[in-house]
Amino acid sequence: MADEETVTALPVSTEAKKRRAPKAPELPIVERRNWLIHQHYLRKDYETCKVIIKEQLQETNGMCEYAIYVQALILRLEGKIQESLELFQSCAILNPSSSDNLKQVARSLFLLGKHKAAIEFYNEAAKLNEKDWEISHNLGVCYYFIKDFKYAEEHLNLALQINKHDKTFMMLGKVHLLAGEADKAIEVYKRAVEFSPENTELLTTLGLLFLQLGKYQKAFEHLGNALTFDPNNYKAILAAGSMMQTHGDFDVAMNKYRVAACAVPESPPLWNNIGMCFFGKKKYVAAISCLKRAHYLSPFDWKVLYNLGLVHLTMQQYASAFHFLSAAINLNPRMGELYMLLAVALTNLEDVENATRAYEQAVNLDESNPMVNLNFAIFLYNHGDKKRALDQYQEMERKVNQLRDSSNNFEFDPELMDMAQKMGVALQVTESLVWTKPGKDSTSKPHSAAAAKTPGAPLGTNQALGQAMSSAASYNKNIQLTTGVSKGSTAPALEPDVENAPSPPTDPPGPSEPEDPDGSKSRTSKGKSEVE
Amino acid sequence: MSSVESSGDGGKWLDAHYDPVAGLYTFSSCVDLADLSGDRESRLVVGDLGTGSSGMKLKVYRGTALISENTLLDLPAGLVAFFMDLHEPRIPAVAVASGPCIYVYKNLRPYFKFTLPSLDVNPLEQDVWQQVREGQIDPVMLKEMLESIRKKADIPLSIRSLRFLSLEADEADEFVQLHKQQPIRRQTVITCIGTLKKSTADEDGISCLVIGTESTDVFILDPEAFTILCKMSLPAVPTMMDVTGQFDVEFRITVACRNGSIYILRRESEKPKYCIKLSSHPVGLVRVGKNVVVGCTDESLQGFTQKGKKLWKIILPAPITTMAPMDLPTRGLQAVLVALANCQVQLYREKNLLSTIKTPDTVTSICFGRYGREDGTLIMTTKGGGLMVKILKRTAVFDDRDSTPGPPVAQSVRLNVPKKTKLYVDQTLRERENGLAMHRAFHMDLSRMRLAAVRAYVKALESSLTPISSSLSEPLKMNAVVQGLGPSFKLTLNVQNTASCRPVMNLAISFLYDDNLYRIRNPYMRIPLLVPGLIYPVETFVECTSDKGISDIIKVFVLHEEKSSPLLTAHINMPVSEGLMLN
Repeated sequence: MADEETVTALPVSTEAKKRRAPKAPELPIVERRNWLIHQHYLRKDYETCKVIIKEQLQETNGMCEYAIYVQALILRLEGKIQESLELFQSCAILNPSSSDNLKQVARSLFLLGKHKAAIEFYNEAAKLNEKDWEISHNLGVCYYFIKDFKYAEEHLNLALQINKHDKTFMMLGKVHLLAGEADKAIEVYKRAVEFSPENTELLTTLGLLFLQLGKYQKAFEHLGNALTFDPNNYKAILAAGSMMQTHGDFDVAMNKYRVAACAVPESPPLWNNIGMCFFGKKKYVAAISCLKRAHYLSPFDWKVLYNLGLVHLTMQQYASAFHFLSAAINLNPRMGELYMLLAVALTNLEDVENATRAYEQAVNLDESNPMVNLNFAIFLYNHGDKKRALDQYQEMERKVNQLRDSSNNFEFDPELMDMAQKMGVALQVTESLVWTKPGKDSTSKPHSAAAAKTPGAPLGTNQALGQAMSSAASYNKNIQLTTGVSKGSTAPALEPDVENAPSPPTDPPGPSEPEDPDGSKSRTSKGKSEVE
Repeated sequence: MSSVESSGDGGKWLDAHYDPVAGLYTFSSCVDLADLSGDRESRLVVGDLGTGSSGMKLKVYRGTALISENTLLDLPAGLVAFFMDLHEPRIPAVAVASGPCIYVYKNLRPYFKFTLPSLDVNPLEQDVWQQVREGQIDPVMLKEMLESIRKKADIPLSIRSLRFLSLEADEADEFVQLHKQQPIRRQTVITCIGTLKKSTADEDGISCLVIGTESTDVFILDPEAFTILCKMSLPAVPTMMDVTGQFDVEFRITVACRNGSIYILRRESEKPKYCIKLSSHPVGLVRVGKNVVVGCTDESLQGFTQKGKKLWKIILPAPITTMAPMDLPTRGLQAVLVALANCQVQLYREKNLLSTIKTPDTVTSICFGRYGREDGTLIMTTKGGGLMVKILKRTAVFDDRDSTPGPPVAQSVRLNVPKKTKLYVDQTLRERENGLAMHRAFHMDLSRMRLAAVRAYVKALESSLTPISSSLSEPLKMNAVVQGLGPSFKLTLNVQNTASCRPVMNLAISFLYDDNLYRIRNPYMRIPLLVPGLIYPVETFVECTSDKGISDIIKVFVLHEEKSSPLLTAHINMPVSEGLMLN
């Protein structure tokens, strides 16, 4: 048997041998085809690789360590982790002094979710090879998965000391974030960006982190950088776009979204943001189309429903708005603003009883938004309950003061201020002047006065919930005392698609979009992008 | 990729030759171009791996024709053409590395064979075999001793001992008899080979051979005497290398290793001077000027300085299969050719893509240089064994595009916003006018529906119309299966007692149906004692007596003896009978 193999392997040397000692054939070198196996493995030509490995193992009676090693690597790539683990273990038996074998055993254990066992093997491997970033990195990852952030941090930092790699930075940042140390995470990502300034993933992550912390300037800088290196980066596009949207830069945002729409055409947050862009540009029908697509793609996303409710309120489709808002409340019952919008819809649907309940719920849940109280105050005033209206007005003033104290340059919506002042006059409260300072700073919109006059008068502002307030305000003039139809405003689990029925999105000519004038907002669209 | 690019490439390369069935199985390391006959015309020298186990050949091409074939004894791991002496005319020799040997061919005839020095043998192992030779220990004993040596020794066992350990007991004796007289040897295998100019940088200066071995060493061989000039050791097995400089002055060997690192060796140091740790295995290693370009298995191309500092990294569209330098000093062009698994060959200068060549098959080896009398020739072999020769047009210009691309194409694509119909707009207007009425009507209907639902539920509970009985004494569950196409159907009722421990007794099943339509074989059945948890199938046959193609509901009642109201009820919607009654 050995004879045959040597003939194919090294005929000449065997012949030479034979002349001298015909009895003992030369054995083929165990490692003779390792390089070939490696070459094929690198080229991801696994089929050929397996054939060679099989031949090699036959030739050497299974003693070729490297062949088994690569066989195990291939098995692992094919998802047969348990089998690969066994092969790696047999490699470790063939050559117990190799840290590579131990590392791979640990890696397979890690993939099987046995993090503690993996840690043990990595520690073994580390004894054989102390200065190996891979071991330290993987140890860090293992500790991260068993939620031991202190050790994870330690090992990842060690890995970075030995050798800097983007993925170690990424992991260390994640560990810090999970441990709730956002500032440390930022430091790590900053170092990472310094080390590899063109890694879009790092840039995007850092940008999003700044965004979460409200450092918009820096966030935008990093997201912009990410987009320069990879204009198709979906995450960065969404985040940057939402920031542009917040500043009313709808056309630029739309340009970016077009790119994302090509890359990820079925992303709910993307279509939500596009919808709110259209909303900002006062193209309400397109906005509804896009939001409904977002809703179709992600039916349980309350933000999309919130936006749909808002757009329908703007369109004075109060019945539809009611359905969307109540669906949103069912998904997220802890948000005061949702109840407020619902109350606005109900007010317009002349369901005073339920509107009152919705307002009460909104006031209970809301912590900081003065608009909730203002709207409630207006509502109460319109229904002749001056005393409670005054209570709400004072509560609003408290929140305004609180907000102004917390940050110096907090900008209030001029429309909100205008309306509040009017309300103050109506309630005969002495001007408490909470607005005066910011009122001077911000240019008040000339339109805002019209808000109180007729429903659907143009309001130029772009601030959050301005619309809601104006809707409430517009009701001001059309007070009709109606005893509402009894029903629980929060109870129904309704299909918000009821009114989708008459809007099949298939018709060749683009219908003229009724340019409905009204104020708008796009606040929630921002929150969305971070979710992804 | 885009049409612009492919048409641009059509203008850059001439298709000189394509033989899809050349039957070449080789790697970039086994392909070289050299003027083998001194007539100023370069030949292509290929070390062909044959089938991977036999039929290895050294093939030489001139123009489009194969002009010579030499049989190789083992798989060629690498092949280089180099000048080994100063004789005129200047004809390079070809060195083929295979197994532990280097075979040197001159004028395409075997000229010299160099074998790597044997590795150290474990002295303990040597002792043990010595004792065997002297007949002091038997094979069983030998096996035990070798096992213990293998477990703790620093120096691995020789092939002979390893083979012996893997043998069955009955074969062991014979094996020992056969081999014991031979001295023990441990040999290593060459994994990569390169050349290094000895003392001058001239194109036809004498070169040393640089070889990397499986024993993680790098040797530099003297070209005339074939002695080892220098030995350096690495932490891992080398797979690819790039050599620059002159042996007598200063040189730099960049070696990619199997542990995913790249080491840089320099003159006068036995250990690597710098180290680049990659996060994935290197597939290709090319030096451009003073920088090193590495292609990795994670589909990335990375640039490093010669001291190992990372310069840039780009992501490629497909896995890399091989890489080669493209050096055209007459035009001042230095770039890197990267063959990808998606049948493309891309040309990069730094991180900028200069051009893309599409190939009919995946390229496995690339070589760029002077072929025939043409300086800019690109030679590729494909996975299917094809040989492709392309010549760079003299008019071809590679413009260095700006690294920052313009806005992506997608930005100008219109958004696919779903259109709304006129009907939608009308409905919107209607809602605006009649929103209040709609809302009220909706709530009225909702309340009614709830009322209806609650009523139906109460009724079902009261009259035990549900297929699940929740009574404490007889908690039962039933489902029904109808099989058959008609007119006969088989009706299977699966009854289950859902109580935790108590059996249920004295149950019966009866049916309510339209006897003009159906006939049931056993309209009344007794159910045996029901053990908790088990499912009892109760079967009967239903015959449809009507041929009008109509169907009806059959109601199934589970009754308790001595009680008039049923415990549970199932409504079976019978399928329409598709078969006709016989007679």
